[in-house]
Amino acid sequence: MSKQTYNRRELAAEVERRKQARINGDRESLPVADQAEVKRYLKHLLRRHPRAIGIALGLHVLAAVAGLAAPRLLGGLVQDVHDGTTVGHVDRIALVLAVFLLAQTVLTRYARLRSQVFGEQVLAELREDFVGNALALPIGVVESAGSGDLLTRTSRDVDQLGWSVRWAIPEWLIATVTAIVTLIGAVLVGWWVLIPCLLGVPPLVIALRWYLARAKDGYLWEGETYSVINASLTETVEGARTVEALGLQQSRIDQVDDDIAESFRAERYTLGLRTVFFPTVETAYLIPTVATLLFGGWLYLHGHASLADVTAATLYVQALIDPVDRVISIMDELQVGSASLARLLGVAKVPEDRVATGRQPIDEKIDAAEVRFSYTEGRDVLHGIDLSVGIGERIAMVGPSGAGKSTLGRLLAGIHPPRTGSVTVGEVGLTELPLAELRGHVALVTQEHHVFVGTLRDNLALAVDEEAGDDRLLAALDSVDAGDWTRALPHGLNTVVGSGGLDLSPAQAQQLALARLVLADPHTLVLDEATSLIDPRAARHLERSLAAVLEGRTVIAIAHRLFSAHDADRVAVVEDGRISEFGSHHELVQAGGSYADLWSSWHQ
Amino acid sequence: MRDLPLDHPGTADSRTPWSFLRWVLKGQWDSVAVAMVFGVIWMTCSAVVPAVIGKAIDAGVTGRDSGELWKWSAILFGVGVIQSASGIMRHRYAVLNWLTSAYRVVQLVTRQATHLGATLSKRVATGEVVAIGTNDLSHIGNAMDVLARAMGALVSFVVVAVILLQTSVTLGLVVLIGVPVLLLLLGPLLKPLQQRNLEQRDMMGHLSNIATDIVSGLRVLRGIGGERIFHDRYRTESQKVRQAGNAVARLQSVLDALQVFLPGVFVVVVVWLGARFAVQDKISPGELVAFYGYAAFLVLPLRTATEAANKWIRAHVSARRIVKVLALQPEIEDPRLAADAPAPDSELVDVRSGLRIRPGVLTAVVSEPAGDAAEVVDRLGRFAEGDVIWGGVRLDTLPRALVRERIVVSDTSAILFAGRLADQLAGIRAADPDRDERLARALHAAATSDVLEALPEGLDTLVAEKGRSFSGGQRQRLILARALARDPEVLILVESTSAVDAHTEARIAERLVGNRAGRTTVVTTSSPLMLSRADVVVFLEGGRVVAEGRHADLLTSSPAYRAVVTREEAEDVEEVAR
Repeated sequence: MSKQTYNRRELAAEVERRKQARINGDRESLPVADQAEVKRYLKHLLRRHPRAIGIALGLHVLAAVAGLAAPRLLGGLVQDVHDGTTVGHVDRIALVLAVFLLAQTVLTRYARLRSQVFGEQVLAELREDFVGNALALPIGVVESAGSGDLLTRTSRDVDQLGWSVRWAIPEWLIATVTAIVTLIGAVLVGWWVLIPCLLGVPPLVIALRWYLARAKDGYLWEGETYSVINASLTETVEGARTVEALGLQQSRIDQVDDDIAESFRAERYTLGLRTVFFPTVETAYLIPTVATLLFGGWLYLHGHASLADVTAATLYVQALIDPVDRVISIMDELQVGSASLARLLGVAKVPEDRVATGRQPIDEKIDAAEVRFSYTEGRDVLHGIDLSVGIGERIAMVGPSGAGKSTLGRLLAGIHPPRTGSVTVGEVGLTELPLAELRGHVALVTQEHHVFVGTLRDNLALAVDEEAGDDRLLAALDSVDAGDWTRALPHGLNTVVGSGGLDLSPAQAQQLALARLVLADPHTLVLDEATSLIDPRAARHLERSLAAVLEGRTVIAIAHRLFSAHDADRVAVVEDGRISEFGSHHELVQAGGSYADLWSSWHQ
Repeated sequence: MRDLPLDHPGTADSRTPWSFLRWVLKGQWDSVAVAMVFGVIWMTCSAVVPAVIGKAIDAGVTGRDSGELWKWSAILFGVGVIQSASGIMRHRYAVLNWLTSAYRVVQLVTRQATHLGATLSKRVATGEVVAIGTNDLSHIGNAMDVLARAMGALVSFVVVAVILLQTSVTLGLVVLIGVPVLLLLLGPLLKPLQQRNLEQRDMMGHLSNIATDIVSGLRVLRGIGGERIFHDRYRTESQKVRQAGNAVARLQSVLDALQVFLPGVFVVVVVWLGARFAVQDKISPGELVAFYGYAAFLVLPLRTATEAANKWIRAHVSARRIVKVLALQPEIEDPRLAADAPAPDSELVDVRSGLRIRPGVLTAVVSEPAGDAAEVVDRLGRFAEGDVIWGGVRLDTLPRALVRERIVVSDTSAILFAGRLADQLAGIRAADPDRDERLARALHAAATSDVLEALPEGLDTLVAEKGRSFSGGQRQRLILARALARDPEVLILVESTSAVDAHTEARIAERLVGNRAGRTTVVTTSSPLMLSRADVVVFLEGGRVVAEGRHADLLTSSPAYRAVVTREEAEDVEEVAR
């Protein structure tokens, strides 16, 4: 090591700082299950599948027992050879050895199969439960936690847990069973074997405690640094044109080099941990082997043990090294796995923001009264909104960004409950209705043009509870002007879209969203700039064809293009969390307020 | 230990994949050589352990000589200590080798991406380049990492071979021929297993894509109540993954069992033959124990050899991808002989469309069809070849860097990079004392006050990757501010307020005029709010200039223009009139 640029204490301080940052940064994030809850969940899991676990474990024990034969038989052979024996005896022993081997092979096969199949089952249960819980999360909670938190859970934590359940837990169990059984085998040779084995325990325990206290945070840090490198590289590659246009070459290069330097610091830290841990552990393995040989030899010389015992004991103690080493090296993997599990289970701890009361709406009228709302406590974004929407009426909401239009739209669609006041359909609060029922009344489409991974059919079917025939799906596509291009696709409705599939343009994605709305068939629609990403001229066309679909429904459209506003029955101008102007287009233009100003600068 | 990252990754030999790997290896041959030395010591120590135990049993235990027993036990301990010391040193150098090569690959690819610029996405899928940073770097790293162990395996195999043959030629040959044969037997099973593994991994990737859909799609789902159907679909896919996992398990468990069986068979044969020899006094009891140890040990070097071969094959595949990217050249080349730079405030003329950009004024470009304006901009900014004359000089006779410096284009493909907001918008302050003032003006012009107010740490906020935490409209305004903060001689903005609401757009249009007063500015747009503020509006039809003048004048003089910018068709005009 020629250059000691970083000392260990400095790096340890860095790890601690990051750990604190993670804890503090978590204040706003989704909850994490505590140790007791994780344990309770695991216990519950074990109780759910007693048979599967019993069989797998039993098979592993039997396989390990069969594996004990070889050292014992070899020890006997060495003794016999020393005492003088026949070739026939040797042949017989070899045959017995072969039989045990066969038994061990068959048992190993089924033990492994059973535990892997069980692992897949548990994993499927875990991830399906998690996804169910994640889907029930209140939107406000996800947003204040930032999408990054949920993204980490759905991607990295589910993967990590898969790795743990599929590989780490079975390996760890097998290694533990093998180690215990081997130790028992060794002790059966003679109680004295325990003494050399115990000599190895203190250094092992001390080293392990020291390492485990540091490893998890170290490896988390290391993992983060690679995500950062990837993110910087991805940006540089995807933004290569921006880099060239703005002459950002050197700043991107510096950025990536800085990220690498950070990664190297993390790597130095974990390497430092291993530099202490590995040699200590290996020495801890060495001590019992040497001690068994010495102690056994001494016992033999004094007539307390046979040659067979000494040989078998030495071989057993050596055979212990491998499973013990596996148990130890999987420990930090399990630590990380249990942290992932805690995060996945934590999602279920978020309280629901809606309570179904069973009340039924008396009609289809949407009313908002005295509505105030805040995302963060003490900072209201809506200040007492009253809005009564007539059945079948079309209302346009306009106003500057950040005035609260979208928030109001979401309240009118029952996404959030108001902080005070009420938003009702037929005199029943929107958040008193179960989600499935609510969507029969009000649906919301926003400017987020998200395409789900799957086929076009999957994307559309999200909006229909029962099996929907192709005719119905295609009709919905036609009504939003998307019939032509979807029919032209080589696989039609079976075309795979979304991440990794066919790339849809934002406009096409938005047409899909609108088609879903048609399929969901609610009496009231909230459109939040739902046509904003479509080329303005095409949007005009789309809105025309949508008009047929919207006919007879109540529509609340949030728009930043004024041409959509002037078609509405009434226009609400939202400014600073209040409705500042409300009336028909002509009334507002005549009133000469801010809407009129805007309209005239638009129209000259 | 060498300090990473290297200041310069160097110039890679990117002629062929092998020449690239050779180049990587050459760049770190010293640390690779050190790692190999430790690797050899380490594995040789493992190899002689059975021999030492055998000696201890022969000379110490059966020989009933406590002096010999102590001696051989001490040797065993000594060998163990050397083994663990050389083991950790090998590991340290192997990690260094991994990191050196992996980091170097990232550095190379980053530099190449910045070198290619706009050409990159035209020549190669961006995902392919990103994959180099996520996957291929580990394969290159693994190839360097495995070298030390491979060398150790080779030497230890030879050492054991020599020891074995010296003790018994027959047994020696059984071991030396048997172990490779045994590994070959496992080979045929590996292929189908890899296949099933791959299938399951693909399915898992798909499943995880569905799950991550929750994050970006939850709001959409909540809007139409699709949660239950989504969950059903996830459950179906999840069960498919489980079935695929069971298929893997059926094969994997056989392989696991064979990993017990095949070396086991071998041990049985060695013990059987050895014991027969021992009965006939051809070998000692201790040597019998040692043979048992060798039979078990030799699986390790052979497995390492297979692993090394696999890793180099993978590294070769990765190197092929890397070489492909490194060999690309930017489309727009620097002229061999650079012409003199035009004087400041020169007129910029696109010959094909007839568009003239007069210096010092705000020109708005409206085109029908809409995409034509972007093509003209590509030529004006020299992102595409074309006849463009700037102050009497052909644009393509000027160095690329000079054009980028003086003509800045901010178009719809512009992205926001992660980092401190202020640095991302206007560069590092230390490098530029006037930065804060320029930035403040730019932020004001782009009407970003509400964006900044919502940020707890204002301009010190760390922007998420690609500005993901901002809404489309917020991002667009920040990108506009970034372009304005550069304050270039010529600024070309493409549809830079398309995602902004009308109130804010009106405000930006007004402030843009003040911000760019006296500077040359081009905006492509069809929004009347922006057009009414422009000094001159140019209307292109079919890629040619057909009208030019003030917005208000064009509205009356050109019906086609009026139709485009007010998005009215005959019926709407009637409707308004009603």
